[in-house]
Amino acid sequence: MGTFAAIGIAGSGLDVYRRWLDAVSDNLANINTIRPTGEAAFQARYIVAESIDNEGGNSGGVQATGVALGSAEGRLVYEPNHPLADEQGYVRYPDVDMSSQMVQLIQAQRGYQANAAVIDRAKDMYSTALTIGRN
Amino acid sequence: MSIPPISGISAAMPAAVTQPPQTMPVSDGGAGFGTSLASAVDGLQAMQSTSSALAIKAVTGDLSDVHDYTIAATQASVAMELTATIRNRAVDAFNEIMRMQA
Amino acid sequence: MFGSISFDAMHSALDALSLRQRVIADNVANVQTPGYQAKRVHFEDALARAVSSGSGRAAGSITESAEPGRQDGNNVNLDTEVVSNIDTNLRYQLATRAMDGKFSILRAAMRTS
Repeated sequence: MGTFAAIGIAGSGLDVYRRWLDAVSDNLANINTIRPTGEAAFQARYIVAESIDNEGGNSGGVQATGVALGSAEGRLVYEPNHPLADEQGYVRYPDVDMSSQMVQLIQAQRGYQANAAVIDRAKDMYSTALTIGRN
Repeated sequence: MSIPPISGISAAMPAAVTQPPQTMPVSDGGAGFGTSLASAVDGLQAMQSTSSALAIKAVTGDLSDVHDYTIAATQASVAMELTATIRNRAVDAFNEIMRMQA
Repeated sequence: MFGSISFDAMHSALDALSLRQRVIADNVANVQTPGYQAKRVHFEDALARAVSSGSGRAAGSITESAEPGRQDGNNVNLDTEVVSNIDTNLRYQLATRAMDGKFSILRAAMRTS
């Protein structure tokens, strides 16, 4: 950061979007993780992002300030033949919606690629600055 | 038409001839060039120290715009070349004059 | 030589374009941050005014875009940012070339003869 500020800022974006991708991948991988009704369901992970505010003009970017967890109740599904089913035959599924997770996956991926492109262009610009007077 | 006889050389003439020749005011021009070269060298010092200070800021991550450094460095470099060129030309001109007088 | 209007104008342009690049990076990093308002750097008008009144110095100013946001309040438009990013890069190269050209002319003048 500092001298090549745009690269550091875009780098912070890469970090947050990667965490988001990781969280969504984890959610999707556990979409069918069954738990007994006595336990909490698998809780989906959401990254809470906040912008880094501009003190002194050279900072900026985004940071993950925390992780929010989805519903612990999940969905009760009637599967009496499942080994983890309780006396009434229910098990707990996570409250994770496939389509909304896919939408988030695309958003996170787009965000990641956009920041990578910014780094590339910023690198070009700083390289141009370094050619002044070189002849 | 009658041609008047050549009159004798008047006594006033030798006085003008024996007067010492007027010296050209060289001292003013010399001082002028010297001071301008000196101030150019001072300016050069200032530019080089600015350029060094910016270089340090750049490598410690303190410089907000990298072009500030490259512009200052190029200014110092061009000013250095200019000062060197002026000095070389002055030396050449001086040598030229010395050759003429020998 | 070094203090001419056009020299100052090129330097001011490089400063403002560098600021714009940073602001674009900030917008893109926050493309999904809820409530974030995209920022813009204004500079070209200020520089034109400064030059017409005899000075080459102008500073870029940052404002927030008033475009309507999406559901989460974020109004960053990625396509706008991409176009602006490429535009900024090209302008920066242009200003760099112009500044470099001044130095080249001086050097060429010294080297002839």
